[in-house]
Amino acid sequence: MSKLRPSHKDKRAISFQEWMDGSVDPYLGNLEMKPQELKQETREQFEERMQDYARMNAQLYDTEKNTGVKLFRVVFQITSVIWVLLLIGILLLTVSHLPPNGNPDNPANNEVSQRYIERGLQETGAVNIVTGMILDYRAFDTFGESNVLFVATITVLILLRKNKKMHNELDMKEDPDEEKYEPESDNILKTVAKVLVPVIFVFGLYVILNGHLGPGGGFSGGAIMGAGLILYSITFGFEKTERFFTEKTYKWLSFIALTVYCVSKAYSFYTGANGLHSIIPLGTPGAILSSGLIFVLNICVGMVVTCTMYAFYAMFRKGEF
Amino acid sequence: MIRTILAAVFIFGGLLLFAVEIYGVNRFNFVMNRMHAAAIGDTLAMMLCMAGLIIYSGFNFTSLKLLLVVVFLFFSSPVSSHLIMNLEVETNEKAHTHYETDAIIDEDDLLEEEKNKTEG
Repeated sequence: MSKLRPSHKDKRAISFQEWMDGSVDPYLGNLEMKPQELKQETREQFEERMQDYARMNAQLYDTEKNTGVKLFRVVFQITSVIWVLLLIGILLLTVSHLPPNGNPDNPANNEVSQRYIERGLQETGAVNIVTGMILDYRAFDTFGESNVLFVATITVLILLRKNKKMHNELDMKEDPDEEKYEPESDNILKTVAKVLVPVIFVFGLYVILNGHLGPGGGFSGGAIMGAGLILYSITFGFEKTERFFTEKTYKWLSFIALTVYCVSKAYSFYTGANGLHSIIPLGTPGAILSSGLIFVLNICVGMVVTCTMYAFYAMFRKGEF
Repeated sequence: MIRTILAAVFIFGGLLLFAVEIYGVNRFNFVMNRMHAAAIGDTLAMMLCMAGLIIYSGFNFTSLKLLLVVVFLFFSSPVSSHLIMNLEVETNEKAHTHYETDAIIDEDDLLEEEKNKTEG
């Protein structure tokens, strides 16, 4: 007959968790958990600590008694000098082997650019040669750039994210003067932003979707849309922005965009490298739905850039989304 | 030919005004004077340059986009100037020595400052 469990607290895993956290002791019963107090020290204590520290350092790096430290220092200095000289030498050697500037036989003047210009439209289907280059011939490079943006956001997130538990306990009272410098309460800004933000979004979408037909593309259009998002959150506050753009939205948008880019371009590379027939039609050049994958990839890049711009802003402004 | 000359006149006028703007921004010392100088570039100089480019390119889709740039800056530049000015008036502690403001002087802040002075 199994043992009855009146509440979830009787589960072994939970009691183990409690024991690990230290809130329950098998001999003493429930323990009251207190948040750790901040360490306060007077000036004398601080000076004493600094003196201790200096004394410890002096003993540790006493070169007369400790010959190992002395040897290490000498070796370190000599090695660093040798490394720097070696680097300078390698770089100078490379520069001296570079071909002279403006020589028509330089390796930069090869048949690649010729081919881009002559057959770019036929092979990629993009009227804008630059987009054809960065999203078709060199799509792998652009994929790396998009990933760099994503990794940069993640790094900033790691560095700047607020610890919510700590925040709630310690910094509940905010600076009352802070609101004074916020432009959120400004009527002129609100009125203008109401008119401008939709226009900015539409223009950003136009630049993204028109990337293969004219100047523009994912990077520039994404920057425009990110600026629109930032303007919106400056004007109306983060509460209104969070109704449609939260950390979850950022996560999924970036994930979907990068995955779609990766998968679709992997298919394109696979068929291209093996000489297979690709099912993606190039369409008629000049139409909005043309140029095969470039249209999709532009949207992906635009999504990633928009998310990155807004994420950076939100992170530096308030430490979270 | 006439169109090119007309466009060149417009663009050079705009560039001249930009030069005036940059000189003014570096010449003046106070925020408001500097913004007054910078506003020249934001409005008239930019409009002249864009008008020159519109005349040069003829009336097509590109010139419509250039016109949109003018309209956009016409909306956004005064607002940004207004916000910068607001911030200047509210944060500059020595504002009343340079110009008259309606900003409410926080008496508590003044008292605190005096306290700090006497203590320090």
